[in-house]
Amino acid sequence: MFESLRHRFALAAALVRLEFINNLAYRATYFTGVFNYGIQIGAYYFLWDAVFAGRRLLAGFTREEMLTYVIVAWVVRSFYFSNLDRRVAVEIRNGDIAMELILPYDYQEAKYCRAFGEALFRLLFFTLPTGIVIYLLRPFQLPPNFTAGFLFILSMLGSFLINAQLSLMAGLLAFFTQSTSGIYRAKRVIMDLCTGLLIPISFYPEWFQKVLAFLPFQAVSYLPNLIYLGKVDTAGALAVLARQFFWAVVLFFLGRLFWRLAVRHLVIQGG
Amino acid sequence: MQFSPILRKEGIFLAIINVRNLTKEFKIYHHREGVIGAIKDLFHREYRIIRAVDGINMTIEPGEIVGYIGANGAGKSTTIKMLTGILVPTAGEVVVNGFVPYRDREEYTRHIGVVFGQRSQLWWDIAVLESLKLLRRIYRVPEKAFRERLAFFDDLLGLGEFLHLPVRRLSLGQRMRCELAAALLHNPPLLFLDEPTIGLDVLAKARIREFLLQVNREFGTTILLTTHDLKDIEALCPRVIIIDKGRILYDGGREDLLRQWGHDDLEEIVRRIYQGQRPGEVEAGV
Amino acid sequence: MARQSWFRSFLWHGEIFFHYAAQYLKTRMAYRGDFWIYLLSDFLMQSVNLIFILTIFTRVPHIKGWSREEVLFIYGFFLVPFGFYSGLFNHLFDVPEKYVLRGELDRVLLRPLNTLFQVVVETMNLELIFIALGGIIIMIYSGAQMDLAWHWWDFPLALLLVGGATLIYGGIYTLLASLGFWAEGNLGLMPMIYNLSQYGRYPVTVYRGVIRFILTWILPFAFVGFFPSTIFLRRYEFLPYALLTPVVGLGFFVLGWRVWQRGIRRYVGAGH
Repeated sequence: MFESLRHRFALAAALVRLEFINNLAYRATYFTGVFNYGIQIGAYYFLWDAVFAGRRLLAGFTREEMLTYVIVAWVVRSFYFSNLDRRVAVEIRNGDIAMELILPYDYQEAKYCRAFGEALFRLLFFTLPTGIVIYLLRPFQLPPNFTAGFLFILSMLGSFLINAQLSLMAGLLAFFTQSTSGIYRAKRVIMDLCTGLLIPISFYPEWFQKVLAFLPFQAVSYLPNLIYLGKVDTAGALAVLARQFFWAVVLFFLGRLFWRLAVRHLVIQGG
Repeated sequence: MQFSPILRKEGIFLAIINVRNLTKEFKIYHHREGVIGAIKDLFHREYRIIRAVDGINMTIEPGEIVGYIGANGAGKSTTIKMLTGILVPTAGEVVVNGFVPYRDREEYTRHIGVVFGQRSQLWWDIAVLESLKLLRRIYRVPEKAFRERLAFFDDLLGLGEFLHLPVRRLSLGQRMRCELAAALLHNPPLLFLDEPTIGLDVLAKARIREFLLQVNREFGTTILLTTHDLKDIEALCPRVIIIDKGRILYDGGREDLLRQWGHDDLEEIVRRIYQGQRPGEVEAGV
Repeated sequence: MARQSWFRSFLWHGEIFFHYAAQYLKTRMAYRGDFWIYLLSDFLMQSVNLIFILTIFTRVPHIKGWSREEVLFIYGFFLVPFGFYSGLFNHLFDVPEKYVLRGELDRVLLRPLNTLFQVVVETMNLELIFIALGGIIIMIYSGAQMDLAWHWWDFPLALLLVGGATLIYGGIYTLLASLGFWAEGNLGLMPMIYNLSQYGRYPVTVYRGVIRFILTWILPFAFVGFFPSTIFLRRYEFLPYALLTPVVGLGFFVLGWRVWQRGIRRYVGAGH
């Protein structure tokens, strides 16, 4: 039992490392990565700045808070974002998935490990440099206290878990349809709008906010940002983490179910 | 490196393929291992220069079928790529059919046909017939000539059964037949084949050899082909050029080669040549 | 003589383009369901921006003096050249990896056609030109809301400006794709420039200092949507810029083409 757990952990570590090194091989991407995120952040930063020109408070945000929100939301996204959806879809489409199925490990776990390897790479080469460069160019608010900062970092893990699971599920949809690109594009639209990355949830009409309250999306970006900005107290922050945990577990089992159905589909189709 | 039209007119390059002192060098970059290596590569990359083709000469007359053989990495494909205008030589001279391939590319490629066994030239997703029709436009083949040639190819290669399938659904043998039809659609005087029989079964190979002989007989098409299957050479090529490490080791008749080595098995001779033996050393080497 | 043959080659490539386009549509129609979903998902992607604009304007009446309808109109105009770009040039980002690294350019070099032309027609996603239609609808809607008066000369002018704006996109992307010949592999610049191009959706006066300078003079995406559309919004303070659009477009396209040519020379010199 203990031995098998050790093996499992060793395998996970190996996968994380593998993906980390794989990412390193694309040397060009990390040269441009920081600029890339800088430009993306800039697009919304300047826009929000213009929106707030001459206004004090919109949808519960001050100008300073909003600008920090934009920066933090995108910088954190550079950590949790993953290409899992596309990669899984491509794997299914070109049949490489068969090679994965004959390997003696749990497919989902292996995918999460690799996604985590990618996330660590992104943390080191995108998230931290981007955050630091932007802070040097234009200092933004830091978390109001140590507790908020600490809980925020924990919530980044939650963002990663939820996003990775949603991505994997979106990728697995390729089993059921030919139009894989359609799916992950649709997924990205939903993620951009419903996680609060582009617009804080509080800007939306009342009815839409009510709908989103029942869905996992805002736990990826909006709620962690509220922790960062100190707009929820410690109890509220812990509630956010609990909510992330809840969704991570629910999505994990949903993903399992999905995977079972998908593999059965594969078997029926004969690959 | 460029030739004036006067030189051409004076008949210095009368043959269909004229190659002099042709050389091609590549830079090969090293990738260092592991995380540290990848980071080091960011700042400083090491490379070395290899000479894939090293000062070769050849002259091929119209109507010849020439087999161009050599071990993997001997420089065959690099030569073919220079002859077809894909690569620019590092040094030396190439004049093919009156053109300098890389310089006159757009005009030159109208007059050659090329088949790479390892890579499809057809469009993956569209039906074979549609591919051919598109090529007809690109090479400006008149409708009537197109019909005639298609019938000719169909007759010899049996394309009819899969003309309406997309290329990705063809077997390798079927695809190869289509590649040949596509390469010859505009009836070029010159045909380059880089490993045209690779991966094919015995029947498919025989069919393609038969077809090439027929084309050569009927249209006087000059053919230069590389291959690892010496049966191809025996069936097709009266003349053989052997290249090793970028240099030409042998250029002459196939029969002469057999006589020189005093052996009737071409495969055995070629194996020995690759191992670095010379005709005289035969007995000593074994 | 030389000029005439250049012109004939141009016309001939135009003719070949239609043969490629016909083949392209046949292939796409073979997977009809895929085709429509792809198109739909692209509209969905674009709708993010629309939703963004509409949501913000539920909270504020104008952004730096630009009303909701004006911002929508500029966005709509932007989508027209953007649609042409998406249909024709977007997949030029495949060039470094697919064509240079994996050597697909070999095949391209064996055909008696212009190399850039071949890469464009082989990678195009023609159906995305429909995005332009979405842009026109947005322009008509917001124009009607503002009671914009149209003159007959607005239409040829719009055509000219859209052409120039499309060339800006085409030129910049050709330039970027060409860099793949030197970098042997993907430089990662394409997504970066794509993101920068998205700045052009909004009035350039939203941005300050350096950014505005870059968008106007270095990577002139302000000429894709904002400057030309101000003519039709009758905000004539930007007129000189608006009229410069075709010139900027031509300039960038020629630049892109030149660098491409040099890249090809390098490829055939160094490829493996």
